[in-house]
Amino acid sequence: MRQSGFDYLSKITAIDYNDHIDVIYLLYNNDAKKDEVVRTTLKAEKLEIDTVIELFKAADWYERELSEMFGIKIKGRNTKKLLLELWNGAEYPLRKSFVWGKDYKRLQ
Amino acid sequence: MSIMRINVGPIHPGTHGVLKLVVDVDGDTVKNVEPHIGFLHRGVEKLMETRMYMQNPSYTEKLDYIAPLSWDDLYINAVEHALGVPVKEPAQYERVILLEFQRIASHLLWLGTFVNDIGQLFTAFMWCFRDRAKILKLLEDVSGSRMFYVNLRLGGFNKNPPEDFKERAYALCDYLEDKIRGYPDVLDANSIFMERTKGVGVLSKKDAIAYGVSGPVLRGSGVEEDARISHPYYVYDKIKFKVPTGSKGDSYDRYRVRYEEMLESIGIIRNALANMPDGDAKGMQIRLIGPIAKPDHIIMREELPRGEGIIYMVPDKQKPYRISLRSPAFINLAVLPKLAEGGRFADLFSIIGSLDLIFAEIDR
Repeated sequence: MRQSGFDYLSKITAIDYNDHIDVIYLLYNNDAKKDEVVRTTLKAEKLEIDTVIELFKAADWYERELSEMFGIKIKGRNTKKLLLELWNGAEYPLRKSFVWGKDYKRLQ
Repeated sequence: MSIMRINVGPIHPGTHGVLKLVVDVDGDTVKNVEPHIGFLHRGVEKLMETRMYMQNPSYTEKLDYIAPLSWDDLYINAVEHALGVPVKEPAQYERVILLEFQRIASHLLWLGTFVNDIGQLFTAFMWCFRDRAKILKLLEDVSGSRMFYVNLRLGGFNKNPPEDFKERAYALCDYLEDKIRGYPDVLDANSIFMERTKGVGVLSKKDAIAYGVSGPVLRGSGVEEDARISHPYYVYDKIKFKVPTGSKGDSYDRYRVRYEEMLESIGIIRNALANMPDGDAKGMQIRLIGPIAKPDHIIMREELPRGEGIIYMVPDKQKPYRISLRSPAFINLAVLPKLAEGGRFADLFSIIGSLDLIFAEIDR
């Protein structure tokens, strides 16, 4: 993708479907003004994905966010340092197994 | 000389909100900056999954309290696309007009506080707030509240605009153009302002794209990219306007881009007012919605005052299954270490100011 001119990373996000998590990369080509969506599926048993920080520097904070919010391990870089520093690093609030009312109160 | 580590914030007037910075300095030279965010985290993305579609605008508005209408419109636009609701034509024009007024109001507040960060120049601060108040008055008369409007409904607005809306909007355009053209008299002619913005916080074109910044920060580095042109929504494709860009990518260019954007916005408003058809702009008053159309996902892009905002939404029957918000200020802040490195410590706050950050939107 990077070679074919998609030089701008708009966002990395993820969706939890209970048995698997989809990771989504929104890319943009600044010269040709074209969009591309890259979607990969991670199985719940093996939540690991390679870092793209060498290709897009913008990935830095997005990958830290993914790691903190979904507990996805980013291979090739250290994401131990949390971004929002709010959760304890063992709970992943944007997963569907995290129930909003109940689990939130427990963390207080 | 040995390196000293300084903690700045999280409560500091120069950081425009709750931002903590750990700065390594060698004398007066900044060696490294590490931003710490998350003090304002509410978990908006999670909260929005638990609420029905039309309960969520009150969350999206508070993402950006300087320009609430822009985020609100982005969300409503995404829901309209997800459910397949067409927007009435008069409402489309009215939304463009209000969004551009909102953009000017946001840039005015930014300009006022930015020159305040740099020092002195209280004149410009008062001028900007005086003119912004006029815009807020018009928006208040259209929507019913001064700051958090919540006046968008699916397909239109909660009520029709007041009868004298067009005349007042035209008069406000004339007033604003006259006043905004006067700002360079106290800014560009002021040597303090020029010294502290020219050549400060330079972001090259290549880095701007690599770091994924957007909005005036990207355009200030010379990249001609605007979601209103590349991903047109409403009637933006029928209106001609220029995309101002900078050449060097310093703080001054970012100021200049926003300044020219305000003038362009006035042109867009005049154009939209001239073409705005008469008719009903009221939207639907539906609180519960069934699955009218249910696509896999919706990607909605709009040009917010701070940059390109994206909503990635996976719709479900009554509630969104997942909403992901791409906040332009979030990624504009991520570039701060790059901008501040090697500069003077005093310039750090001028650079933060030039990025136009909103922490409600960064921490979400």
